[in-house]
Amino acid sequence: MNLRFSSIEGKSRGYYTAVGILALLSIMGCLGFMVSYIKGHQVFGSSNVIPWGMPIVIAIYLIGLSAGLHILAFFIHILGRKEWIPIIRMAVFMAIVLIFGAMVSIALDLGRPEKSWRLFMFFYLNNMTSMFAINAIFYPCYLAAASIYLMMLFADNEKLSKIMGMVAFCWAMLTHGGTGLIFGLIDSRGPWFSALKPFEFIMVALTSSLALLVVVMIVTFYLTRRQAREELVTSLGKLVAGFLCGVILLIWISELSHGYKPDNGASIFMLSGPFSWIFWGFQVFLGEVIPLFILFHPRLRKTVKGVATASVLIVIGVFFERYYLVIPGLAYPQSYFPGKIEGGYGAVGSFPITAIETMISIGMFAFMGFLFILGLKYLELLPVDESGRQTPEPAKKA
Amino acid sequence: MVIDLDKCVGCQACSTACKAENNVPHGSPDEQRLRRDIYWNKVIAVTNGKYPRVNTELIPMPCMHCDHAPCVTVCPAKATYRREDGIIVQDFRRCIGCKYCIVACPYGARSFNSKEQEEEEYHRHDLPPDRNVWGQWPFPTRTHGVVEKCTFCFHRIDQGIKEGKKIGKEVVPACVEACPAEARKFGDLDDTRSEVSSLLSSRGWIRLREELGTRPKVYYLLK
Repeated sequence: MNLRFSSIEGKSRGYYTAVGILALLSIMGCLGFMVSYIKGHQVFGSSNVIPWGMPIVIAIYLIGLSAGLHILAFFIHILGRKEWIPIIRMAVFMAIVLIFGAMVSIALDLGRPEKSWRLFMFFYLNNMTSMFAINAIFYPCYLAAASIYLMMLFADNEKLSKIMGMVAFCWAMLTHGGTGLIFGLIDSRGPWFSALKPFEFIMVALTSSLALLVVVMIVTFYLTRRQAREELVTSLGKLVAGFLCGVILLIWISELSHGYKPDNGASIFMLSGPFSWIFWGFQVFLGEVIPLFILFHPRLRKTVKGVATASVLIVIGVFFERYYLVIPGLAYPQSYFPGKIEGGYGAVGSFPITAIETMISIGMFAFMGFLFILGLKYLELLPVDESGRQTPEPAKKA
Repeated sequence: MVIDLDKCVGCQACSTACKAENNVPHGSPDEQRLRRDIYWNKVIAVTNGKYPRVNTELIPMPCMHCDHAPCVTVCPAKATYRREDGIIVQDFRRCIGCKYCIVACPYGARSFNSKEQEEEEYHRHDLPPDRNVWGQWPFPTRTHGVVEKCTFCFHRIDQGIKEGKKIGKEVVPACVEACPAEARKFGDLDDTRSEVSSLLSSRGWIRLREELGTRPKVYYLLK
């Protein structure tokens, strides 16, 4: 194929402004982390009822956004869908940045992050029956596999790209399944315990990551004065629509299995409890119903704007899906003894939004953006079409 | 441990004694409201029925020291482990503060130390983790950012065994010692001649959340 890749020049005022703002926000997040490290987790919204807060929500969200991007590699190398080659480098780079961000985010939620090396002392100082310890194998190896894959893409080595693409793809599935099992294996938490969790996570990952890719591609192409080809966007839109149906199916089977059994308090709590507006409003309506409507609408699904809108909504909806899983999922009070447990021990947990946690959360996203736009400048990620007729036109110098 | 629900009056002497014995920070009303207070032993009140026909059960809840402890399974850093005598201990030096154990514990027995406590909170410097394994606890105070829980006062038990005392009679955890109604009994469940074994054979008993298969070692004698 007559396809070359280039980096952006990155000397415009807009670029420097973006780098500056993202760097500042990242530093702010870093300061937030330092405060939380010195003052302890009292500056977070977490408590003994809801021990995990925003950093964990963000971590599983970022893992989701990253792990699915390799499905493109699968389509390109195994199914021969060559039309997606122009965006594969960007997709893989995004995956690397996001999984790195996810790992940082998990470290930010640790009470004693300086001891996190213990997680990597496999079979010696760590406990391999813990999903955390097993995921400590999955995440770094996934990062490494994706990095090698990107290198092979840079080297234009087709054979090795194919092999590494597959390795990275399989590892991405393991990574995401493993993340789902962190939740799915916990018997004592009614809203979580489910064998479907790994599959649900994989499906959500595929959907949200492709949706994010659509958004990032359109924004990046627009800002670098490339043209996002309509067929490319709409074909990705079709993939997203398919995966979104899978997500809805799995989530509802999971809810049904929780709600059908006699002990269905957890399911009722999740579907109609005090937090359920997040589920119905953000996750279902904003993140599933509207995007599905757009992606199956005969006219809208064929427009860049339509697919882009649906993708933005999915990216937002999946964030709330993660939030809803972690925070209300933990807020459901445990039944230690039959009857109504009086006082705080039987009350639904609350999760106040705190300044430091918000700083860290914004800082995390800014850090991802910062790494990504640096990558655009220093790595040849964006496609150049020499014919200049279709995607994308050679970047015009600003 | 065997707790007689018929005798418990809900006076919280066990919770207070535990705090005094184990340097557990006393907390504040604000922390209580936000559920950030640290309790190694708590007493919950469970009501059934409607006024005027209502029944309230008082359930003292230390760590259940389960045979199949979910916290031990999920702890990635081996910070929580089972000693040979069956007590589940938490090693603060190994704990990385991931809180996975708090998430996994079906009894809410674990608390996260979320701030640097005042020096006065820690008046005893000779306390856990397991001194048999690690030698004397090297720091004057405990650190924030780790998970804490009941240890069945293993420092007392270890000391008692060293001095040749009878565990369960001469040496008991602080909560057992402090209980004014003698609702709590402590001893070796494997020893058929122990007081706890005879109590369990004489009365109907339950264990909490039996359906999860955790096999707790805290038994409750019914009213």
